[in-house]
Amino acid sequence: MPIRNLMAVLAACCIVLPVNVLASLKLPETIKVNPAALDAEPICDPKISPSWRKAQVIEGVKIEASEICSPDNPHLIAAVVKGTNNISMATLMETDLSPDTIIKTDDIDGDGDPDRIVIKLEVIELNGRTPDFEGVIPTFDIAPGIQPGAWVFAPKTSGMSTENFESIRANSLLRLPSPVIRVEVGDIVQIVLENTHYFPHTIHLHGVDHPFSHHEYGSGKHGNDGVTQTSEINLMPGERRVYEFQPRQAGTMFYHCHVQTHTHLAMGLAGMIIVEENRPNNWLQTLNVGGGHVRHPSVAVKEQYDMEYDLHYHAMDKELTSIIQKYNDPRLIAREMNRRYDLTDSTEDYYTLNGLSFPYTLRESMIIVEPDQKIKLRMLNSGGEFMAVHTHGHKATITHYDGVEQNPAAQITRDVFDMAPAQRLDLLLNTANDGLHSYGAGAWLFHDHREKGITTDGMSEGGSMSMIAYKSYLDDIGLPKVAHGIDLSVYFTKEYYERRLPIWQDLDEAGSLGAPGVRSGMDAETQETVTNLIIGFIIGLLIYIVFARKQHIKGAAAVIVSKLKGSKGSKTNE
Amino acid sequence: MNKQFLTILACMIAFSSHAYAQQDETDHSQHEHEQQNDHSGLSDQEMDHSAHEHDHSDHDKVDHSAHEHDHSDQDEMDHSAHDHSTQDHSGHDMDHSAHDHGGHDHMGDHSGMTHGDDHMMDAPGDHSELHGDGDGHAGHHGDHHHHHDGHIMDHEGTHIMGQNFDKLPSSCTSISEEIEITVRAGTKYARKFPGTAFAFDQQEWHVKPCSKITWHFVNEDNIRHQFMMHGLPRYLYPLGMFHLENTGPRKVSGTMIVPAADETYLVHCDIAQHMEKGMKAQLVVGKGGEDIPSIPGLTPYIINDKYEAEDLPQVSDEDNGKKKDSFTKQVTDFYDENVPLSGMSLIGLLFGIVCAPLFIRMIALGKRKTKEENV
Repeated sequence: MPIRNLMAVLAACCIVLPVNVLASLKLPETIKVNPAALDAEPICDPKISPSWRKAQVIEGVKIEASEICSPDNPHLIAAVVKGTNNISMATLMETDLSPDTIIKTDDIDGDGDPDRIVIKLEVIELNGRTPDFEGVIPTFDIAPGIQPGAWVFAPKTSGMSTENFESIRANSLLRLPSPVIRVEVGDIVQIVLENTHYFPHTIHLHGVDHPFSHHEYGSGKHGNDGVTQTSEINLMPGERRVYEFQPRQAGTMFYHCHVQTHTHLAMGLAGMIIVEENRPNNWLQTLNVGGGHVRHPSVAVKEQYDMEYDLHYHAMDKELTSIIQKYNDPRLIAREMNRRYDLTDSTEDYYTLNGLSFPYTLRESMIIVEPDQKIKLRMLNSGGEFMAVHTHGHKATITHYDGVEQNPAAQITRDVFDMAPAQRLDLLLNTANDGLHSYGAGAWLFHDHREKGITTDGMSEGGSMSMIAYKSYLDDIGLPKVAHGIDLSVYFTKEYYERRLPIWQDLDEAGSLGAPGVRSGMDAETQETVTNLIIGFIIGLLIYIVFARKQHIKGAAAVIVSKLKGSKGSKTNE
Repeated sequence: MNKQFLTILACMIAFSSHAYAQQDETDHSQHEHEQQNDHSGLSDQEMDHSAHEHDHSDHDKVDHSAHEHDHSDQDEMDHSAHDHSTQDHSGHDMDHSAHDHGGHDHMGDHSGMTHGDDHMMDAPGDHSELHGDGDGHAGHHGDHHHHHDGHIMDHEGTHIMGQNFDKLPSSCTSISEEIEITVRAGTKYARKFPGTAFAFDQQEWHVKPCSKITWHFVNEDNIRHQFMMHGLPRYLYPLGMFHLENTGPRKVSGTMIVPAADETYLVHCDIAQHMEKGMKAQLVVGKGGEDIPSIPGLTPYIINDKYEAEDLPQVSDEDNGKKKDSFTKQVTDFYDENVPLSGMSLIGLLFGIVCAPLFIRMIALGKRKTKEENV
C-alpha cells in the first residue's frame, strides 16, 4: 500500500513541473493605485480662515493682502508690529503669544516709532520623543508624513504647545524655521532667550552689529556673542539671558545657537535677523513667523519695492534629527549628538524653504507677483552646503551680499544664485516682461539646482522648491492653476513620500509605466527553487523505495531477468 | 524537589530586583506635610473670608520657612498685585488687602532677572507693581485682564483657567474639606531624578473626594511653566482642564473642586518636552484610579530607553596605576553587556553546568516514575 501512495506522489510531481513552466510565459498586469486608497490631505489647511488673505487694518496696523493658501495670521502681524504691550487683549488672544513676548517702548529719537524693543524667545522641540507612546510630539510636518525632530527658537507663547488637548500637532507659532526678526538701525534691542529646552543653548548674532560683551554683563561671565568656548557660559535649562545691541548698519543677517553648533544649527536653531534702515514712523513687523511674505514691510523697503519676501533655506540630516526621537533621557541624547554623531560622515536628507518642503512650500512660500513690479527677496542659506537657487522665467539682480550693498554699477543680474552656508543675498526681482528680467506671466518654478535640493529624502518632487506665480495664474484658493490635467493633490499624500505611489501610473490610459503586479504563478527564482526541490524529492523517494523494497526489487529483477532469460531460452528453445 | 523550588525562587528574586531598579525610590511621606492646612471646618460654601485669609497667610509663612533652605535668594516671588489679579474677576468677594502680603519682599522677579535693565523686559506701567508698590495700580489692572469661560490672563501672561470656587460636581453633596497645596516647579527638582530636566517638587498629591483645593503654583525657573490638570468633568471645567501658568519666577493661585469618584488625574506642564523630561505628577482623589505612567520616581515609563555601559576614562590609582587600571578594565569588561560572551554569560554557563546533572536527574526521575506507573 505505501508503495502505491508513493508512486502517486511521484506522478503528481511530474505533472506539476511542466505547469510551472507554462505559467512563466505571461508577464504580470499593471496595478493602479486607486486615489481613494490614499490618505489625502486638504491642499489648503481648512483651519485657516479665508479672511486672513485680505488686506486689512488691525490695531491701526496696515496689513497687505496675501493671496496664498496659508497666509500669516493678520492678528499676529498686528501684535508683533505694535508690540504685545500695545494691543488689546482681544487681539492678543487671537495669536497664542504671551503678553510679554514683544515689548515696544520709548521713542528715543522722537521719530514716531518705538526704539526700545524686547523680544522674548523660547527654545522648542518639535517631533520629539515621549516615554508615553510610540510617536512624536508636538508634531510638525515639513511635508506630508515627514516629521524630522527639530529645535527652534520660537516666540514666547502662552498655553499649550499643541493645538488643543485632543491634538498632538504643534500650535501654529511652534514651527520651523526660527522666526525672522526685524529691528531698526538705532533701536536698543534686547533679545531675551528663555531656555525652555533640556539642553544648553545661546544666541550668536551673525552679521548684526553687536558688542562683544555689553556693560551689563562685564567680566566675561555673560557675553553677548553666544560662543560658549570663548565669550559666554552655556545658558542652562530654566535660565534666561539678555542679548543687547544697538545696530548701526542695516542688512539681512543671521542668528543661531552657538552651543555644539555643528548639530544645534542643523537641528533648526537658526533664523534670519534683518536690520532695517531708520525711517520716521517705521513700525516694523518684528517677527515674521514662518518667513515668506512680509505683510507689513518697513518704510525703507516700501520706498523702493512693491513687496518683500523672506526666504530661509535650510537642510537637515535624518540621522541627526532622529536622535531626539530614539531616546528620551537627555544624557543619552547628549551622548549620541555630541560624541557619536559624525557630521563628516553625514548627508543632508531634507531641504526646506521657510521650514517646509514641497508641496507645503506652495501653501505659504510662493512669491506672488504681478507684471511690472519690483520685489525684494531676502535669502539665507543655513544648510551645511553650497546651494544654487535658480529662478525660472526671471533673471534677478543681487543688490546685497551678507547685508552689505553691492556697488550699484557692479551689481550682477543672473538666474542662478549661489549661496555658501550662512550667506545672505538680497535680490531685486523685476517682473517687467522685457525678455531679460522676466519672460512674461506664468507659474514659474524657483528651486535649488543641486538636484538633491528638489527631493525630500531623495524622493522628488520635494525639497525647497517653490514658485514665482503671477496672479493671473492663481486659482481661487491661491494655488497655481496647473495646466494639462496635472494633479497637485497626489503630492499632498503621505504615500507619495513613503514611495508607495507609482508616480507615472496615470501618464496614459494603459498605465504603461505604472507598477507591475506579481506573476500569477511563481517568479523565476522561486520556480527554479521549487523545481530543484521537487527533483530532489523525487530522487529521494526513489532511493527510499529502492532501499525499502530491496528484496522485492531483487526478486522482481530476478523474475524479470529469468523471464527475459526464459523468453530468450524459450525463443532459443523454439 | 526542594532544590528545584530554590532555583526558581532565586531566579524570581533576580528578575524582580531588576524590575525594581527601573524605578527610583518613591517618597510618599513627603506628600503629607503640604496638606496640613486643612480647612475642613469651613466646609460651608459661604466661606468666612477673614478666617480664610488669615489661614492663607499663615500657610504661606509655614510654607516658606519650610522651604527656605533650598531657595534662599529666589524665594517669595509672589507679589501683592499678582494675587490681587488672580482673585479680581472671580466673582468671589474677597478682601484684597488681606492678600497683600506686605511682609514679603518682592525680590523674586528681580533676583531671577539678570540685570538693571529689567525695566525694559517688562510691560511699561508695571514697574511700580514689580517694585512692590501695592497701591495705585488697581485701576491699571482692569484693562489688562482677559476673562471669559473662567479663563483669566493678566498682562504678564499669568494664566488661571478652569477656576471653580463654588460649583459642586454633581457627584458631591457638599465640600468634604478645603485645603491649600503649594506646588513648586523648576529644574532644581529634577536633580533627584537622573535622566530628567524639569520637575515639580512633588509627584503625587492625595486629597479626599469632593475637596476644594486652592493650588499655589510657584515657578522657580526664569522660564515659563504650567500646572495643568486633565480629565476633570467638562460641565464644570472647560475642556476638562484646570490650568495655572507662570511666564517667569512668580506665584499664581487657583481654586477648584474635585468630584466624588476615586480617580487619579494627570498633572503636567505642556511646554514641549517638559512633561516628557520629568514635569509630570498625579492628583489622587480618594483611593485613586489607575496610575498615570512615566512619573519620575513614581510610575514606570511605558517606553524605556536602552542603556549600555560606556568605556569612559577613569582616574587611576597613583601608586600602582597600571595594575589597577587593567584590573578596572577587567571588572568593567566583566559586566559589559556588549561583549558577546561577557562575564555574566560565563556565570550563567557555570550555573548551567552545575545544574545540568540536577535537571537530568530530575528528568530521569520523572521518566522512571512514569515507567513505574506504566508498569
